[in-house]
Amino acid sequence: MGKHLRLVCLLALCAACACSLLSCQRAQGAASAKKMIILGVDGLDPDLLTKFMADGKMPNFARLASEGSFRRLTTSIPPQSPVAWSNLITGMNAGGHGVFDFIHRDPKTFQLYFSTSKVEGPKHSFQIGKWVIPLGSGSAEQLRHGAAFWEILDQNHVHNFVYRIPANFPPIDAKGKTLSGMGTPDLRGTYGTFTFYTDDPTAAVGAVEGGEVVQVEVKNNRVATNLIGPDNTFMKNAPPSTEPFTVDVDPLEAVARIDLQGQKFILKEGEWSGWLPVQFQLMPVIGNVKGICRLYLKQTHPRFQLYVSPINIDPENPALPISTPSSFSRDLAKEIGEYHTQGIAEDTKALMSAVLDDKEYLQQSHAVLAEHRRAFDAEFPKFHDGVFFFYFSSLDLNGHMLWRLTDPQSPTYNAEAAAQYGNSLEEFYAQIDQVLGEVLAKMDENTTLLVLSDHGFAPYHRSFNLNTWLWNNGYIARKEGGSGVDSGEPFTDVDWSRTRAYGLGLNGLYLNIKGREKEGIVDPSQSDALLGEIRGKLLDVRDPKDNSQVITRVDLASEVYQGPYTHNGPDALVGYNRGYRAGWKTILGAIPADVLEDNTNPWSGDHCMDYTKVPGVLLSNRKILAETPALTDIAPTILAEYGIAKLPEMKGQSVFQAR
Amino acid sequence: MSLFALGLFTSPLAIVVMLSVVIGLLMILLFGYTSDQKAIGIAKDQLKAHLLAVRLYRDQLHVVMGSYGKVLRGTGRYLKLAFKPLLYVIIPITLLIVQLDRSLGLTAIQTNKPFLLTARVNNPQALDSISIDLPPEITASAPPVHVAADNEVVWRLVASQPGAYEARINAGGPNATEAVTKTVRVSSELARVSPERLRDHFWARMFSSGESALPDNSAVESISVDYPERNIPLGFAGYEMNWIWLFFILSMIAGFIFKELLGIQV
Repeated sequence: MGKHLRLVCLLALCAACACSLLSCQRAQGAASAKKMIILGVDGLDPDLLTKFMADGKMPNFARLASEGSFRRLTTSIPPQSPVAWSNLITGMNAGGHGVFDFIHRDPKTFQLYFSTSKVEGPKHSFQIGKWVIPLGSGSAEQLRHGAAFWEILDQNHVHNFVYRIPANFPPIDAKGKTLSGMGTPDLRGTYGTFTFYTDDPTAAVGAVEGGEVVQVEVKNNRVATNLIGPDNTFMKNAPPSTEPFTVDVDPLEAVARIDLQGQKFILKEGEWSGWLPVQFQLMPVIGNVKGICRLYLKQTHPRFQLYVSPINIDPENPALPISTPSSFSRDLAKEIGEYHTQGIAEDTKALMSAVLDDKEYLQQSHAVLAEHRRAFDAEFPKFHDGVFFFYFSSLDLNGHMLWRLTDPQSPTYNAEAAAQYGNSLEEFYAQIDQVLGEVLAKMDENTTLLVLSDHGFAPYHRSFNLNTWLWNNGYIARKEGGSGVDSGEPFTDVDWSRTRAYGLGLNGLYLNIKGREKEGIVDPSQSDALLGEIRGKLLDVRDPKDNSQVITRVDLASEVYQGPYTHNGPDALVGYNRGYRAGWKTILGAIPADVLEDNTNPWSGDHCMDYTKVPGVLLSNRKILAETPALTDIAPTILAEYGIAKLPEMKGQSVFQAR
Repeated sequence: MSLFALGLFTSPLAIVVMLSVVIGLLMILLFGYTSDQKAIGIAKDQLKAHLLAVRLYRDQLHVVMGSYGKVLRGTGRYLKLAFKPLLYVIIPITLLIVQLDRSLGLTAIQTNKPFLLTARVNNPQALDSISIDLPPEITASAPPVHVAADNEVVWRLVASQPGAYEARINAGGPNATEAVTKTVRVSSELARVSPERLRDHFWARMFSSGESALPDNSAVESISVDYPERNIPLGFAGYEMNWIWLFFILSMIAGFIFKELLGIQV
């Protein structure tokens, strides 16, 4: 009897195990059958979208808005892409994820660094003659804190795919396929450094904004010069590595043959090469690093002009981690061809430096979007369950560069250029609409679609030089006997022993706090009063040109941030009115002569201002119940779709829940 | 009719594997046939004996040193015995590799993809009078580049249809106009290509050209087409390899297996 009882118990136990296993599988099956598609369109502006939809230029967006929901999406404070996408990724504000700007500073040294990642060489090395032998390898570290939504999805066995989301370099460990986006450096470790070769004796040779101009000599119709690569840390003083290449210019025709590391090809004037693999030898045999670049033959006669793109990390042989799994970047390259790996792929700096003109910049920018679309067309059909996130950069970078072409008030408006390229931004919007059309064609009842942007856009007509204003108002003191001339360097001649506040980054206002800054003088107990005083004065600033209010809000970090990193960032965030932004020099700590000046740069649209004036968009095929959804709601929304509780530190909640 | 034409093997990887096995077997057979197997066997046995002596008499320095000396002499004797048969093996293999490389080492020109055709002349003056005639299936997509420093004219061409075409280079010689041709192979499949047509240079032609020599009195010294290099996909994790390395590794493995199976001393 006892033996039979044991047998029955054993069978019952087995049955119970089988049932629970089956129910688990069913639950997992049900969860994984649910699909969520998120199109992250950087800089998609609600006003432009509304206009283009009304004009019939974006039929797929119009359909989604009418059949589903369309809301303005509250952006981050400040409304800068690294901050905004970090809000989306983590569901927290900057106090929680620790990304406050593109640029951060070390308060003890005033060294500036990228806010989202840090790439370092090996910590120890020894020297033999001119060679530096590393002991160990370098490292790439992501500086964004907090769990990313796809990490939580992984933990809950929800498949996911995340393409080029900003602030994810180096990519965090993930089970799904991810590719790093904004924040990924080029091979030289910068956000993108082009090289421009010319024999024009009047050209300003040397470093320019985002690039380098190299003087060459055309001798017997041949240019022999060097491709400039990453700094060679295997050599003393880390000089830039170089690889020779030659260009043979036809004596009569506007055409040239280029020989780059055995790759020979012909370019006509005005033609782009495809992606070219290049290899820089840092140390014979053991130290090679691979990259890819594109060439553009701008002119052959009378002057030689050749543009070389920033050397991107080669996706087939990445020198730094850019994808999960690490083979994904290579597999994608095999499928769609080589592609930009640099975070900000559109070469806005080349247009700003007049190395590329509008037409050439647009060619390059269209090539970037074409790559994204090829990647989308390759990956979207493979998506069957879980979360599919795909990022597009085009509307943001082109919003910055092309705004002036549709804005007669812009100081850089040019009627001729407007007539020629005035529709360009609209064409980029239309391309995103086509992508949405591809998605809508594949929708089913189990799929939730979110189309969103991190912020909108506004004109950028006038620059406000915060540091100059702080100097004029006695908050920055300069050394006695200093030149008083702006050198363009951060905080030239600043007397920190008498300085109470300084500006850094696109919206950051910092106090020179005792114990935090190296030579801090402001007692922490006095900081609220000082910030209140500065806030009041900043809100009173009027533009002498037309008496417009320049700054419409100043948010104190203590009021708008929560989380462990609140005190690492600025003490206040300056919110500029539409049409205004921090000046180019002041954001890096320089003190130009004028407080306000016209923005004469092609970079004519912006969003780094009062966050209430540049909301993003949120569209869905489902009813959005939140009246004022925010970026911090997106991560909780994604988790809620799969029945996953949001983390306690997340600030938002699902946009599909009533509030 | 070649194996390629028969369509028995259309995958480069399959062809390399098959060639490696067959040639590995042939190498072993040839080595066995042309070598003194008995003498090689004795030389190897003696080497083993001397190596054993080194291990057994480690505590007797004079024996160890003597054995090392015999190992060196034995190795020399073994190499001498292996040299002649290796020569018999290496010469045909080298010639075979040169021939196979024209099919497996390079890919034919792809339709609608630009490629360069370069004509090198023997004097800079000839550069000014050089021109090209192309069949209708091939067009120039850019003006030619005249490179005086290298005595070269380079054309960027694009083919619209698969096939074997003749590009005709017209060069004004010192006395008369002359014309020479270069074959351009356009195909998406395995095809035998000749990257260069040369004047003189017997050995260079042997190794890099599959076409007859250019006339001795021609102003054109060479005509080349930049056929892209081919890497053989290995079928896992996206890895690729030049066919010669793959052939070398696989034929060695095959050779070692057949050596054991056939009892041939190597």
